[in-house]
Formats: sequence, C-alpha cells, structure tokens
Amino acid sequence: MSELSSQVVLSLLVWGTLVGLDLVSVPQAMISRPLVAGTVAGWLVGDVEAGLRIGVVVELFALDVLPVGAVRYPDYGPATVAAVALGAGSPWELSLGLSTALGLVLAVLGGWSLQTVRRWNARAIQRRAAALAAGESSAIRRLQYGALLRDAARGMILTLLGLVLASGIKERVLLDRQTAVALTLVAIGSALAAAVNGAVRSSGRKARLKWLLAGAGAGVLLAVLA
Amino acid sequence: MTGRLRALLRLFAVQGTWNYERMLGVGMGYAAEPLLEDLKAVDPVRHGEAVVRSAEFFNCNPNLAGLALGATARAEYEALPGAQIVRLRTALCSPLGAMGDELFWAGLVPALIGAALVGVVLGAGWWAIAGFLLLYNGIRLWTGYWSLRTGMESGMRVGAAIGSSWLPRAIERVGPAAAFAIGAAIPVVSAWYLKPFGFSAGVGAAGVLMAGIALTRWFSPFLTTVRFALAAMIFLLVLRRVGV
Repeated sequence: MSELSSQVVLSLLVWGTLVGLDLVSVPQAMISRPLVAGTVAGWLVGDVEAGLRIGVVVELFALDVLPVGAVRYPDYGPATVAAVALGAGSPWELSLGLSTALGLVLAVLGGWSLQTVRRWNARAIQRRAAALAAGESSAIRRLQYGALLRDAARGMILTLLGLVLASGIKERVLLDRQTAVALTLVAIGSALAAAVNGAVRSSGRKARLKWLLAGAGAGVLLAVLA
Repeated sequence: MTGRLRALLRLFAVQGTWNYERMLGVGMGYAAEPLLEDLKAVDPVRHGEAVVRSAEFFNCNPNLAGLALGATARAEYEALPGAQIVRLRTALCSPLGAMGDELFWAGLVPALIGAALVGVVLGAGWWAIAGFLLLYNGIRLWTGYWSLRTGMESGMRVGAAIGSSWLPRAIERVGPAAAFAIGAAIPVVSAWYLKPFGFSAGVGAAGVLMAGIALTRWFSPFLTTVRFALAAMIFLLVLRRVGV
C-alpha cells in the first residue's frame, strides 16, 4: 500500500466512491458486489489475484445479507477496495486474514455511515417540506441531487479512511507467518459460515432446500474434479 | 429524449434520497417529473397536486418501481380522484416490494453471483465477472423498461397486469436456480481456498465454520457473522500474543 503511486491511490478513491454510490443510490449495477469491486481494485493496483481472493472472501460475507425493505446492512464495496489495497503485493495466504479484518471493520462503518446519510436526507426533506407541499418540482430535484452528493461523499470518505488505515497497517503491523496463516484460515472459515447461513436462511424448508443440497452435491463433485 | 425515457433513466436513481420517513418517495417524485410535464400545460393545478402526490411516502423494490410510477402517472392524466391514486400507490408498496425482492435480491443476484463464483474458481476470471454484470444489468434494464411500459398501459388495472405477466412464473423459477448456484459455489470456493493449506488447516477452517454457524444461530440477532469473524480474529491474536 505504501508503495502505491498517487495515480493509483486516486483511481482507487474514484472507484471506491462509485462503488459506494452503487450500493443504494445509483445505478445499482452491482459493481458494489465485493467480487466486482475487489477484482477491479486488484487490477487498479496491479494484483488481480489479490483482488479476486479478497473479493471472493468478502463476497461470501455479503451473501449473508438480504437487502430487503429498510433492513440495515454493511457496505462491503469501498471496504473491499481498501482491503485489496492492503493485501496487494503480498502472498494471499499471508495477507487475506488481515485484509479481511480491515474490510469487515470498514463494512460495518460503511453500514453506519449509510444510516447517517439517510438521517441527513430526512432532515433535508423536512427543511423543504413547504416546497414539497406546494408541488415544486425544483425542490424535489434539489433534494435528489443533494442526497446523491452526500452519498458520493460518504463513499469517498469511507474509501479514503480505508486507504489510510491500510497504509498504516502495512507499515506498522508485522505478523509472523503462523499467525498470518491462522488469521487467513479464520477469515475463510467465518466467510464460509456466513455464506452457509445466508443460503440456508434463504432456502427455508421447502423445495428450495432440495435445490441447495443438489447444488452442494454438484459443487463437491466439481471441487474434486477441478 | 422522450419523457418516458428520461423517467426510465431517473428510475436508476430512485433510491437516491432514501430515508426512513418517505423511503423511495422523493426518488419517485424525481422520476415522475418528466412523465408529468405535459400535464402542466393542460391542467396546472392538477399538475401541482400530482407532483405533491408523486413525492409522498413510497417503498418497493427499485427494479419494479416503474410499475407504480407508470400506473400513477397514467391515473393522473385520466384525472382520477387524488385519494384513489394515493390508495393505488399504497396498495402497490407491499406486492412490488415482495415480488421484486424475491426476484432480484433472493433470486437473480445470488443465482448469478453463485455462477460467477464457480466461474472464477474454474479459471474464467474476468469473463465470469463480465458475464455476471452483463446478464444482471441486461435483465434489470429490460425489467425496468417493461415495468414502466406496463404501468403506463394498464393504469389502475396494474394489479391484474402484474398477475397475468411473466413475473410470478419467473419468481417461482429463479429461487431454485439461486439455491442451486449458491449450493454449488460454497464447496467449490472452499476447495479453492483450502487446498493450498493441506488437511490439518482445512480441519481448522472447518472448525471455525461450524462454530460460526452454531454461535451465530444461538446468539442471533446480536452475533452476526461479521461480528463473529472479528471476535474470532481478535481471540486468535490474543492467543498468539500469550504464546498459545
């Protein structure tokens, strides 16, 4: 991370901002999925392998989230970008655990920041309540653009914070090989637990559960053959 | 650019002003603006009332919001009583939320993500990710277009139009596909990560997996898998620090 050029840091910041916006505000094109956000971040820092490995493990955590209604959930997009910045350039077996830990902390912070932006949106609407009640289209437009700006700022700040933390961790935290590998295994085991939890919860006890088990059977076969 | 196309594009930002009071309301008002423009010249008073109604409380899955947007815009042009339009909007919240969430968040997204994960592990790399993005956004774009068109064509009869459309059948089919894809992805991804570490490390990770599933179920909703993971990592670091 410390050796990343300012151009790469800037591109990560732009990518993190876009990814943060994509989660809820616009355009919800799924670039905020950790698998996509992480792989592109890996490409930006010149280590696609790290991007894929970190993106997939955070994606497993994201599979435990069903973003329905007004449910509160972590923001994994900018978090994955920062996690990849931390893990890039090191063997994934040693860096995945620490990168995932940073990603999860940032994702929780991101979820909290999303609630804050939503409260600010509500306040902005209250301030323009009279204009809305009078049917002023311009008030609606201003509210919409203001909210999009707030969310973009949120994504950018979150990514910047992540990159600063990644830089600090890379410079100051030194783990011995055994601890780094153990941390990676804990990250993988926890991510798989999240994915299994999400899959079982979504499947319920009906026909869908049978399809889940059939898929698991096919997956085991593929894993053995691959 | 036609009003309908502008409305369709604005629907991609329908959650832009999401908040706990009006939820999608202001975003719907923003998307409705191009559709209601012609009403301003015909009946300015009605237009003002329609703008107010368009930005009131509303919530549903963003990908199906076009159905409600189109139906209510048409009802405004048909000069139906305002209270009837508000009732229609309110009545559409739950079904459009439930159907859209089932179709997209519990169906299409996990199905495509599961397939992309398997593709990545099997070496498809960028192709798997590009395929996921293209397929998801293609389906979503088409659904958005169909939703707005169907809403505008059916107006107050939008409920019947939804019932007789492809939507209920697609929801029935995509659920099993999602379960199968995620079911297949989990063992494939597990092997991809754990093979380089050998058997004993695999057993250790499996132990974390079992503990994670059990503890997050027992202590739900407080103990989420993210909290479990962070707690387990801190626990591990403490153990290593004291020399275990």
